[in-house]
Amino acid sequence: MNAALTLRERSEAEASRLPPLLARAEHLAGTVLLGDHGRRRSGLGDDFWQYRPAQIGDSRRMIDHRRSARGDQQFVREREWQIAQSVLLWVDQGASMRFASDKALPTKADRARLLGLATAILLVRGGERVGLTDTTLPPRRGNAQIIRLAQAWSQDAPTDYTPPEHRAMIPHARAVFISDFLGPLDEVELALTKAADRGVRGVLLQVLDPGEEAFPFRGRTIFESVGGTVRHETLKAGELRERYLDRLARRKDALTQLCRATGWQLGLHHTEDSAQTALLWLYRALDGGVQ
Amino acid sequence: MTVLAGIGFTAPWVLLGLLTLPILWLILRAVPPAPIRRLFPAVTLLLGLKDDESVSDRTPWWLLLLRMLAAAAIIIGLAGPVLNPARDEAGSGPLLLVLDASWAGATRWSATLDQIDAQLTEAGRAGRPVSILRLTDTETPVFQAAEAWRGRLPGLTPMPWQPTEAQIDNTLAALDAVDGGFDTHWFSDRLSYAGHDRLLSALQSRGAVTVYRSPAAVVAVAPASYQDGAIQLTAVRAEPGGAETVTVLAQGRDPAGAMRVLHTTEIQFENGSNTAQIELALPSELRARITRFEIQGQRSAGAVTLTDDSLRRREVALIAGTLNREGLELLSPLHYLTQVLIPTADFVEGGLLEVLPANPDVIVLADVATLSDTEQVGLTEWVEQGGLLLRFAGPRMAASDLGRDAEDTLLPVRLRSGGRSVGGAMSWGEAKGLAPFPEGSPFFGLQIPEDVTVTTQVMAQPDPNLADRAIASLSDGTPLVTRKALGLGQVVLFHVTADAEWSSLPLSGLFVEMLDRLAVASAAKSRQVEQLQGTTWEPIQILDGFGTLSDAGNLPGVDGVALVSGQVGPDLRPGLYESGKQKLALNVLAEDAVLTPVVWPTDIPIKGQEVSTETPVGGILLSLALVLLTVDVIASLALSGRLGLARAAAMALGAMLLVPQAQAQTPEETEFALNSTQELVLAHVLTGDAQVDDIALAGMRGLVQTLYYRTSVEPAEPVGVDLERDELAFFPLLYWPITPDQPQPSAEAYAKLNAYLRSGGMILFDTRDANIAGFGTASANGRKLQQLAGPLNIPSLEPIPRDHVLTRTFYLLQDFPGRYGGTEVWVESAPLDAEQIEGMPFRNLNDNVTPVVIGGNDWAGAWAVDRNGQALLPVGRGYAGERQRELAHRFGVNLVMHVLTGNYKSDQVHVPALLDRLGQ
Repeated sequence: MNAALTLRERSEAEASRLPPLLARAEHLAGTVLLGDHGRRRSGLGDDFWQYRPAQIGDSRRMIDHRRSARGDQQFVREREWQIAQSVLLWVDQGASMRFASDKALPTKADRARLLGLATAILLVRGGERVGLTDTTLPPRRGNAQIIRLAQAWSQDAPTDYTPPEHRAMIPHARAVFISDFLGPLDEVELALTKAADRGVRGVLLQVLDPGEEAFPFRGRTIFESVGGTVRHETLKAGELRERYLDRLARRKDALTQLCRATGWQLGLHHTEDSAQTALLWLYRALDGGVQ
Repeated sequence: MTVLAGIGFTAPWVLLGLLTLPILWLILRAVPPAPIRRLFPAVTLLLGLKDDESVSDRTPWWLLLLRMLAAAAIIIGLAGPVLNPARDEAGSGPLLLVLDASWAGATRWSATLDQIDAQLTEAGRAGRPVSILRLTDTETPVFQAAEAWRGRLPGLTPMPWQPTEAQIDNTLAALDAVDGGFDTHWFSDRLSYAGHDRLLSALQSRGAVTVYRSPAAVVAVAPASYQDGAIQLTAVRAEPGGAETVTVLAQGRDPAGAMRVLHTTEIQFENGSNTAQIELALPSELRARITRFEIQGQRSAGAVTLTDDSLRRREVALIAGTLNREGLELLSPLHYLTQVLIPTADFVEGGLLEVLPANPDVIVLADVATLSDTEQVGLTEWVEQGGLLLRFAGPRMAASDLGRDAEDTLLPVRLRSGGRSVGGAMSWGEAKGLAPFPEGSPFFGLQIPEDVTVTTQVMAQPDPNLADRAIASLSDGTPLVTRKALGLGQVVLFHVTADAEWSSLPLSGLFVEMLDRLAVASAAKSRQVEQLQGTTWEPIQILDGFGTLSDAGNLPGVDGVALVSGQVGPDLRPGLYESGKQKLALNVLAEDAVLTPVVWPTDIPIKGQEVSTETPVGGILLSLALVLLTVDVIASLALSGRLGLARAAAMALGAMLLVPQAQAQTPEETEFALNSTQELVLAHVLTGDAQVDDIALAGMRGLVQTLYYRTSVEPAEPVGVDLERDELAFFPLLYWPITPDQPQPSAEAYAKLNAYLRSGGMILFDTRDANIAGFGTASANGRKLQQLAGPLNIPSLEPIPRDHVLTRTFYLLQDFPGRYGGTEVWVESAPLDAEQIEGMPFRNLNDNVTPVVIGGNDWAGAWAVDRNGQALLPVGRGYAGERQRELAHRFGVNLVMHVLTGNYKSDQVHVPALLDRLGQ
C-alpha cells in the first residue's frame, strides 16, 4: 500500500470522526442554551442596557441628550456588556484518557472531548472567543473555530500522561482544563500557578472512569498504563484496594487544595454519568466565574 | 503382570511416581497463579505500593487436590491397571480344543469363541502348541502356535447337525495319527450322540480331559405337522427341568413380500417333561404364508423348523361340464376328485369366471369342452401366470371338435375325434392296464396296481411332440396323461373321465398319488418312502448352524428316500429342497427326535463357560485425569478472574460432552397442530381417490372464499385429513365425500371419529350421487356410506325440517342444493317433545349442533374453485345454474355458521319475548 492511499484512508477516518463529535456536541449544547446565560451587566456593546444618572467622571460625550432633554437630570445611556471573553480550553489527549473499564462506557477521552467541544459551542454562541491553551489555536469566535477545535481534538497524543498546556495563556482570560489528572501533579500545579500569575481563572474538570473509582481487581495482576510506559505488578490486587482508594482521595484533595489556592474550581465527572450534568456544571462554573 | 489387591498392573514400577505427589503438592502450593495483564490508567497511583506478603494468593486447597487427583490418575493409569487379571493356570504340553460345534451350541457360540480366545491367549503365554478340532467338521488336528489359531477363530462356525457316527470314526482315526500325548479341553454342547463315549476314552488315553459346558439348556423345535385342521408344533428340551415357557414365532412373508412375524405363540413345558406340544389353528391364508417357526431368543438351527408344502392347503376350483343334480352325487364327475382333495385342499366355489379372480392354485375342468372366449382368455392368462389346469376327458370332450384340427391352447395335445373304447361288451380286446411310468415323468417311481384298467379314452393325434408330452401311457402305448407347459404354468390332460365311468383309475390309490405328484393335492401325509422313490431333490436353500437360511449354491441333488430316512449331516444338509413343483423342508430334528443330555464320568472336571475377561482400566483413569485437568482449567480461570473466558470454556465443554438426546416431538405433528389451530381451518376427509380429494379441497377453498367475503368467519387454507393419522379435534367441520372404494377406517380411527362427534364436531357426508338411491344400498356410494357410517355414533336422523336452525343461521334457505338439487338432506332429528310455541315462527329445537349432515348433492363440486377463484365444475345451465351455485354457497355459509354458533340463531326467536319483558 502506498503512502498516498494510507494518508487518504486515515484522512477519511479522521473526517468521519469529526461530524459525529460536532453533532453530539451541538446537540448537548442545544440543551443548555435556553438557560440564563446573558451578561446582564453594563459594559461595551451594541445593545441598550439602562439609563443612569450621569456621575462625576463621566465624560460629556457619554451623556444621552435625547433622554436628558426630557428633564433636568442628565442621563448616561449604558450599553450591555458585550465585550468578548477569551476562554482557553485544554483537553487531555494523552493515552491514559483512552480507557474505558467497560465496553458499554465511553472512553474518558471521548467524554472529555465531547464536554470540551460542547462548552466551546456554548461559549461561541454566547459570543465568547474560544481557543486552546497552546500556541496552535488562539482564541477566535465563530463556527469555524469549533471545527478547528474538533480537528485539534481528533488527534491522539502518543504519550501516556500529557501535562496541562500553559504556553499560550492570555492574561485574564478564562480557562477550562479537562483531564483525569492522574499524571504527575506538579505539572498541574505548575500550569495552575502560572495561570494564576497571569490572572487567568478557570475550571478543572476531572473525568474518571468508574473502574478507577472502584478498583474491582483481585489476584495476581500486572497493571499497565494505556501507553504501556508504566507498569506495576502485584500479587494480591485485592489487598491494594484500600490503599489505592486512599491515594485517589489524596490526589483529589491535592487538586482541591490547588484550586483553592489559585481560585480555580474543581469538578469531578464519571464517564458513567450523563454528559449533560457535567456540561451544566461547566457552564455554570464558567458563568459564575465570568464577572 | 503384578497383582496388587486384586488389580493387576502391567507396569507396576510406574506406581513409584505416586511418591512424587507430596513434592508436587508443595511446588504447586508455592507457585502463584499466572498474573493477568490489565490496562489501568490510574497505575500511577499504585506505583510504590508494596504487597503485604511476599506470597501471592495461594492456590486453594481444593484446586490442589483436584490437580493431585489428576496426577495420581495419570500415574496409576500409566501403570496399566487391569481388572480381573487372568491367573496363570498350570499346564504344559500340547493342548487340544475339542468342539462339538453342533447347532445345540450355536446360541452361545460367541461366548464359546470368547472362551476359546481366552484359552488361546493363555496357551500362547505358556507357549503350548494348540490344535482345534470341530467334531462336526472333521479335520486332522494340527498343533500350531496359539496365535496362528486366533486368526482362524472367526471362521469356526457351528454346523446344523450333531456329529455323525462316521465323523466320530474319522476323528478317532485322525487322533490316532497324532503322536504323543496332549491335554484336551472339550467344549460340549450338552447333547449326547453316538460315539461320544468312544471319543472320550480315546482322548482320556492321551491326557487330561477338561470339559467346558455351555450353561444354556438346549431347546429345539420339531418339524411342524398339520393334523385335524391345526398345526401341531412340538418343542423338545434335553434336560427335563422345571416348568418353562418358550415363545415360538411363526415367520413368513406378508402380502408386501417382507419377512415378518406372522404369529407368536407360547409353548409350556410341564415340570419334568421333555416335550411340549401346542396346536395352532390359523386361518389357511396365514398358514400358507408361514415359512418357518423359531424359538424366540435362540439362535440355533435346532430352534428353527422350516415348513414346506405340507402346511399349505392348495386352493382348487372344480368345474364340471354338467351341473350336479340333486341325488346324483355319486354320479357327479367330480365326486372322486372331491374325495381325494378334501383332506388336503380348499375348494373355491363358483363358475369359471368367478373363480379366476380368486387365483386358485389349480383349476380342474372335468369334461368341459367348450369355453367362451372370455373364459378362454382368462384361463390362458391364469395358466401363463403359473396356474395348473387339470382337465379330464369325457363324453362331451370326445364329442366336441376341441383340439381337432389345431392344437388348442388349453389342451396339451391334439385329439382324434370320437375316442376309443376297448374291452367293453361291444368291443374287442381287453381293458388296458397302465404301462410303467417312464423316467422323467413326474409319476416315475409310483407303483402301479394291477387292477387299474382303462376302457374308454380320448385319443391323442400323433404329433412330433406327443412322446414328450405323454407322462403316463397305457400298456399299448397310447397316452393316458399328457402335459404341456404354458407360460409359467402347465396344462395336464387325463384322457379319461374323472369318475369311474371310463376307467378304474379314480378308484385306485394311484389316482391320489398321481394327483399328489402333480402337486394338485399336496399334502401332509405324502412324505412316505414309497412316494419319494425315484425322485431327486435339489437343495434350494440350506440352514447354517445358527438357523439362518442361505442359498444352497451348487450342492448336489439328494435322493428322495434319503431325504426322508437319512440323518442330517454333511451330506444331507437341512434346508429346503425342490423337485418339480413340490417343495420339501428337511429340518435338523426329525419329527420324533429326542434330545439326550450327555452324561460325563465323575472323574472329568466340568467347568462353566463364564469368562471373567480382563478389563484394562488404564484408559478410563487417563480419561478421568483429562476430565479433572479440564475442570482445573475452568476453575483456575474462574479463580484468576477470567470468568468470561471460563464461562465460554465451560459452555464449549458442555457442548462437547452433552450430546443432545432430547427427541423432539414429531415435528410434523406439531406443525400440523400449529397450522390447524392458529386459525380456523376447514377440512375434508381424504378418500384416496385423487380426483375426489382434489375437488373436495377445491370445494373447501371455494367455501372459505365465500365465507371470507361475506361473513366475519375468515378461515385459513383448508386441509385434507387422513383419518388414521391426523388429529381431528382441531376441525369444526369435516367434509366427507363418499367414494365406493375408499378404505374402511381402522378401529382406532373410528374411536377418534366418535370422540370427535361427541365433542361437538360435525361431519358432512356427501354421497355425490344426487341421492338417487335415497341412501339405500342401490347405489355404490349409498352402500359405502352405510358401511362407513355403521360404526359411527350417529343419533336418529330426519330430513331437515322447515324450521331447522340450518335454514336461518345466516341466509334464509329452504333448499340445500349442491351440484344436484331438490334432494333431502338429513340431520339429527328434533326431540319428540319439541313443539311450537304460540306466536313463535319456529319450534324450540335441539340444543346441540347436529353431529352429521348427510346428503348427496355434491356440494364440494358446486363450491369448487381453482386458484384464480373461477368455478371448476358447471352447475346446471345458465342463470338458473348460477343461482343454484349461489344457493349451494349459501348452504355452506349456513352450515359453517351453524357449526360455529350452534343454536345461537335458534335463541334469536326469543328476542321478541325478551324485548317484551324488558319493556315492563
